[in-house]
Formats: sequence, C-alpha cells, structure tokens
Amino acid sequence: MKFRWMLAVLAAVAALAGLGYLLRMTQGLDTNLHRDRLTMLRTADNLDVSLNRAFTQTRASSLTDAAADRSKITADLGATLDAMDKGPQSLRGLTPDLDKKLDTFLDTIDSKFELGFDFEARSTLLTQRAINAIDAVPPDIAAVRAALPKDTPDDIRVQLDHLQSQITNYGVSPTPTNEPEIRATMKALDDFAAGKSEALVTSTHDLGVLIDDLLEDKGDLVRMYHEFLNRPTGEQLQAVEQAYLGWYEKQLAVINQYRLYLGAYAAILLLILGWLGLRLRRSFSELDRAHADLLHANEHLEEQVEARTHDLSAALNDLQASQAQLVQSEKMASLGQMVAGVAHEINTPLGYARSNADIVRTSLADIRQLCGAQSKALHLLTSEEAREEDVAHALSAAQALGESINAEELAGDLDGLLADTDHGLSQIAELVGSLKDFSRVDRSRSDLFNVNDGLDAALKICHNQLKGRVEVVRQYGELPQIECSPSQLNQIFLNLITNAGQAIENSGRIYLHTQAEADGVAIRILDNGIGMSEDVRARIFEPFFTTKPVGKGTGLGLSIVFRIIEDHGGSIEVRSAPGKGSAFTIRLPLRQNRKSGTVAESSPPDDVAVAVAVAA
Amino acid sequence: MTEAPAAKARVLFVDDEPRVLTTMRILFRARYEVFFAESGAAALELLKSQPVDVIVSDQRMPGMTGIEMLRTARELNPNAMRILLTGYSDLNAIIGSINEGEIFRFINKPWSNDDLTTTVARAVSAARATQAVAARAGDPNAVAAMAADSASGTPGVLVLDDDPAVPPKIQAILGGDFRVFGATSMDAAVTHLEKEAIGVVISDTRVKDNAVVSLIGTLKQHRPELVSVILTERADAGSAIELINQGQIYRFITKPIHDSQCKIAVNSAQKQHQRLAQSPELTRRYEVEQTPEPPPGTATVNVGLLERVKTLRSWARRWV
Repeated sequence: MKFRWMLAVLAAVAALAGLGYLLRMTQGLDTNLHRDRLTMLRTADNLDVSLNRAFTQTRASSLTDAAADRSKITADLGATLDAMDKGPQSLRGLTPDLDKKLDTFLDTIDSKFELGFDFEARSTLLTQRAINAIDAVPPDIAAVRAALPKDTPDDIRVQLDHLQSQITNYGVSPTPTNEPEIRATMKALDDFAAGKSEALVTSTHDLGVLIDDLLEDKGDLVRMYHEFLNRPTGEQLQAVEQAYLGWYEKQLAVINQYRLYLGAYAAILLLILGWLGLRLRRSFSELDRAHADLLHANEHLEEQVEARTHDLSAALNDLQASQAQLVQSEKMASLGQMVAGVAHEINTPLGYARSNADIVRTSLADIRQLCGAQSKALHLLTSEEAREEDVAHALSAAQALGESINAEELAGDLDGLLADTDHGLSQIAELVGSLKDFSRVDRSRSDLFNVNDGLDAALKICHNQLKGRVEVVRQYGELPQIECSPSQLNQIFLNLITNAGQAIENSGRIYLHTQAEADGVAIRILDNGIGMSEDVRARIFEPFFTTKPVGKGTGLGLSIVFRIIEDHGGSIEVRSAPGKGSAFTIRLPLRQNRKSGTVAESSPPDDVAVAVAVAA
Repeated sequence: MTEAPAAKARVLFVDDEPRVLTTMRILFRARYEVFFAESGAAALELLKSQPVDVIVSDQRMPGMTGIEMLRTARELNPNAMRILLTGYSDLNAIIGSINEGEIFRFINKPWSNDDLTTTVARAVSAARATQAVAARAGDPNAVAAMAADSASGTPGVLVLDDDPAVPPKIQAILGGDFRVFGATSMDAAVTHLEKEAIGVVISDTRVKDNAVVSLIGTLKQHRPELVSVILTERADAGSAIELINQGQIYRFITKPIHDSQCKIAVNSAQKQHQRLAQSPELTRRYEVEQTPEPPPGTATVNVGLLERVKTLRSWARRWV
C-alpha cells in the first residue's frame, strides 16, 4: 500500500519534471533580446552607412563639423560593436560560424577605423596641398599661355583653356573622372611645347609638375577614400546578421519541435488526467454508494443491534448450556473412571465369594454322601441282625469315600474358603460404605465436616488406581470441623489424588498433609511424579486446558476444583518442578460467610454424589 | 496326586487378589496341574520355565495389565490358550485383548463356576488337541510355505456393511491382493458365501439394525476356517465381548478406516484363514460358545438364514 502510494507520487513528480523541462526548452529564446540584437545589427549597419556618408561628406562640408559628426558616429558605432562583442546582447558563443564572421567583421571595421583615422590625418594635409595646387594652376596656365607662340593652333589654346576648368572640376569633384583627359591635355601640351621656346617648355613643365602633384595628392585621397568605402563592412555585417538569423532560425526550429513535443506531452498528460478523473469519479460514485449504504445501515443500526443482541444472547445461552453440558460430561467421565475402578474392586471379592459359596455347596454334597455312608456303616455295626459281609462292605465303602474326599483336608479348605468369603463380603461392605461416605448422599449440602475423613473416603475410591505402585503417606493433623459441602470437597480430593497418581509414571509416593490454621485448615497434596512446566502450571485451572491426549480428558477437572474452592471462599496454590513433582495447597475457612455459602448451595446438584449412589 | 503329569493339563491363573487364586486352586486342582502368579511379571517369569496349556488372567493388575501380559505370553508360548477374567474393562482393553492378545474367551467377574470350568475345559482340550499343529503354525517358515501353496486360489474378502461405499474403499486399500465382495445385508452376504470362495469376512457390528454376532457365530460353527474382522464405528464393550466369546472374531478395528491398519488386519486374517484351512484341527482353538437363545422381542436374524449358513458347503474341504 505504502509502496503504491510512493509510486504514484514518483509518477506525478516525473510528469511535472517532464513538463517543466519541455516548458524550459520552449522558453529558450528571448524575443526581446532577439529584437534588440537585430536593432543592434541595424544600428551598426546604419552607423556604418552614416560613417561612410560622413566620410563622403567630409570632403564637401567644412572640416570641423564633419570631424565632430564623424567622431560621434564612430563613438556610437564603437559602443554598438562592443555590445555586439560582449554584454547581454552579445552575439558571441552562439555558433562557431557566427563567431568567425563576427571576428572577420570586427577586424574589418577595426581596420576601417584605422584607415579612417589615417585618412583624416592625411586628408587635411593633402586637401590643403591640393587646394594650393589648384590655386597655383591658373597662374601657371597663364604663364604657359603667355609663352605660347603665335602660331599656336587654336586646338592647343582651347585645350589649355579647357585645362583650367578641368583642373577646377578635378579639384572640386570628390571622385574626379577627368584625370585621363587632363593627362591627355598635358601630353598634348608637352608634345606641342617640345622644341618650342624655352619659356614655353619651362612653363609647361612647371604646369606639368604642379598638375602631377595635384593628381598624385588627389589620387592618394581618392584611393584612400575608395579603400575606406570599399571595406566590406556592410557585407560582413550582413553575413553576421545572416549567421545570427540562421542560428536564431535553428533555435526557433528546435523550440518549435519542443513545442510540438510539449503539445503531445500535454495531450498525454491530459489523457492520463482524464483517466484518473474517470477513476476518481467511479471511486466517488462507489464512495457515494457506500455512504448511502452507511446511511442506510445507520438508519437500521438499531434494528441490527437488537437482532445481534438477540443472537448474542442466544449464543450466550447456548454457550452456557454447552458449558454446563461439558461440566456434566467431565463429571460423567471422571465418574465413569471411578465406576470402572469401583466395579472391579467390588466384582473381584464378589467373584471369589460367589465361587467359594458354590464350592462349599458342591463340597457339602460330598460330605453329605460321606456322612450317609459312615452313618450307614455305623448303623450296620450297631445293628444286631446285620451280616458280617454287609458290615464289611459298608465300612470299606465309607472308608473309600472318606479317603477320596479327605474330610480333614476338605474341612480345612472350606474353612479357608468361608474365611475368604467373609473377607470379600466385608470388603464389599467397606467399599459401599466408602462410596456412601464419599458421596455424602445422607448428609446435607452444607455441613460440619472433618477434612481428614474426606481425604480417606477419596483414597478408598481411587485405591484401585494406586494400589501396588503408589505409596500413600498420610500426615493428618488435628483438625477442627469446617463448614462446607462435603461431597464437593470429596470430589476435589478425588480429583487431585487421581491427578497425582496419574503424574506418577511407574511407582512413587503421594503425601497427604493436613494442619489446622488460625482461621481454617490447610491441605497439602504432594506427589513425586513428572511435575509440570511453568507454562502448563500457569494454565492448569483454565477450562479445557489439558495435557492428556484428545478424548482422554476434558480439561475441566481442575477448573471445577478451582470453582468449588472459590465457592467455599478458599484458595488453591500450585508449585511444581518438571521431573520432581507437584504440590497443591488448599486453604479453606472455618465458616462460610453467607454469600459464598449460598453460592456453594446454589451450585448445580451434585451429580457425582447421585450417580455414585446409583452405581453403588 | 500327580502320578501321571503328562496326562494332566497345565493351567496358569494370574490375579493380584490371592483369594481369587485360592478359589481357583480349590476349583481346579483336582482336574489340572495348576500354577499361580500374583502379577503379570511373575506370570511371565513362570511361563519361561513352565509350558502351560491355558492362561487365565485378570485384566486390572498393578504394574502390568492382563492384556500386556497375555500379549507377551503369546510370544513366549503361542500354544497356550488365553482367557481374560476381569471385573471391569473399558473398550480399549477389550479391543486390545482381541487384536494383541488373540484371546479365547472374555469372562466377567463375578463368574459362574460351571461356565468357568466348562470354558477352561474347552480351552484345555483345544490346546491339547492342537499342540503339534499350533507349534507348526507358529513357525513362520511353515506359514510362508502354506501361503506359497495357496497362491493359486487366493480366497476373496466379503465386506458386510450398511454403507455401500465401504467395500470399494477396502478394495482400493487392499489393491489387487484379494477380491472384495460387498454386501449391505446378511442375506446378500450369505448368497456371496454360497457362491464364492471367501476366506475373510469384514463386518460391522450391526447391519440393518441387526446384530451380526449370531451370523458370525453360526458361520464360525459351520465354516470354522472363515476368519472374521469387525470394522465399526459403534464400538461398545458389551458387543465386543459377545463377538469374542460367540464369534471368535480375529480382529476388531474402528472406523474411520486407516489404510495400513486395515491392510495389516486383512492380510493377517487371510494368513490365519490359510492356516485354518490347511490344518482343520486348529479350528478347535477358535471354537465359539453356543449362541444363547435371543431374548424375546429383540430383532434377530431370521432362522432361515442361519439354516442356509449351516448348509454351506465348505469349499475349503474340497480345496484341501
């Protein structure tokens, strides 16, 4: 039961744990964080673009403003990048691919910053030099023009004029495209100047040097600018974003899968709960029914109690009746044993007495015959007219008869037989007398009685069981007569002496010891028989407790003894040691108080006494 | 007085009351050589040195009961006929005297001198007549030889009981050793006896409220080689004594049936039957008293049935 209960609790905990796990797995993605991260990525992108724009604008706007703008953008971008690299919104550690892409991007943007700083540092200088160069161009052009010979084709002049605007354009445009044209014009000029006047060559050369410097400076700037703008930060950032989104999608897919699991799990749990609910409902309905039954039973309880009480009292009556019957059968059983012993005791002397009488009668016939023969011979002897041979014949006949009968011996035998018969008859008379003494049928139920007489009467009754094997030692003290039911006391003594005799297996001794005490008498019945264990000793007065085989004893003998002594207001004690013997000590008061007296009188009629009287 | 000791039978009387022995001495001294013992132990001691023909013993004696003594005496001197003379005996003592003592008669105290002398005389003549055969029968080898002889035609067992379930049960207990015939009435039993070769009769004490003692007694008189076993749950001392004295029942067992006890009883009854069939003179040891006239008014076995029993041919004679 306890095991099942624990199992149920474990199952519930496991189900909850499973639910918790699945819930946690579906809660793994923080959409706010995701949004922040995306915003962060957008911000970085925007800032990058802004930076590029600011960089582009640098060359168009005033330097100071642009620088301030740029440093702010740079600072923002730096903060964003830091947030990207570490902190709560960091993209680090999500996937190796993302880490790699992030690293690439951060490296690129670092180098871009460096380039930016480098550019900024050189741009001021180069721009100044370019401005200076542009400023220096017109005078040089003018010098060249002045040095131009008269026959200079218009084409050259136009080109030279055009060069002025070209240079201005070149200087102003952030990403000038007219460098080849300028170089072509310069080549044409150089070619034209070659072999012309010194002044022209020199001025052309000066112009050429100036324009070369300008082109170089501007070229550097443009190259750096392009390089700056061409840093693949945008693409890399996009790659980072793609990688991040990829990770996010994957996470989302996993979570969706767990959501599916969760759904299935929840469905199963629901099913189980539903089943449990059904069971509960069934249990509840059973409980309801039981409850209803109980209510019903409650309503009828009184009737039932009454019926049960009736049954119980009937059973009690039965029990009492059967107990009475058992007590009765115990009495009859011990009576049967006693009758068996007494019958044998009486039948034996009766047997030889009767047989002896028979023998005497038969013998009398012989004696009569002998007497007849002798008196006939005597008569003939004394008769005057008797013939000699008749007398001789009668005499020899009487003598032969006398020899065959041997009157002398026969008379001795008959005397013996008659003496035996006499003895047998007196033995029978004594037995009948002791039966009468024992049963006390001629005495009232409550009488003054000498306990020593009771012991003797009981001894005579069970003499047959003890003779030849048990020596009885009597140590009687002078006793006052006590008020009691003599027949019941005799029954106790017979029971205890019989038990003592049965406890002696082969031969042994029984001691009967009595003595007067201050307010009553004490009787001790001791034997040196087999004794009993403490367990047995503790139970001997319990009804139905017996150590005899089934069918040999009812187990009521000692419980009846106990009850009789209790009824007399006395007490009984037992001491015993296995193998050594037992000692029963009975104490009886001198006088019965009224209550116990009535109990003694009201106890069932003494069947033993009545039955023994019948048997005797 | 004992000028021809060989001619005088020897009778041992055992009683713890010496006056009984005195009476016996005077009653029997003229006819027999008499011996006396006041206890079972003394009787056994005497038996070791003195072969006797008849033992008459009291049952209730200190130290050793009459049955205990007779059981041992039977081993010491199987030829001696055993008679129990007692004032009172409980049922167990009587059953013990049948099964263990195999006694010839059970006589109650007080006894009648005529009955006692008649019974002792019968016992003496049976003992004397069968001395030689009994000695042979007591020899286990001889019994085994007889058993071997009779293996060809083992006689059957007749079970007479109100309960028709008893015969099959006994057949089951005995297995294939013997054929068992069942009868629920004496009529049916006699019919079986007329038709079949029966060696042992197992019967309850009463069948259809009629005591079987007269049937068993009549059977014993006319078919002395038949051996009877009583199987009952209504054991009482009176009918058991009648069954010994008038029926010479061989065993007395009580229900419920114990398989091994029943088997042993039937087996030894069959051996007994074989002994009796082989040596008809032995049957004198199992002579029964004449059935007394039944008291008027009691249910009796009809006379016709007993007449039928008397005409039963003894197949045993044919068989021998």
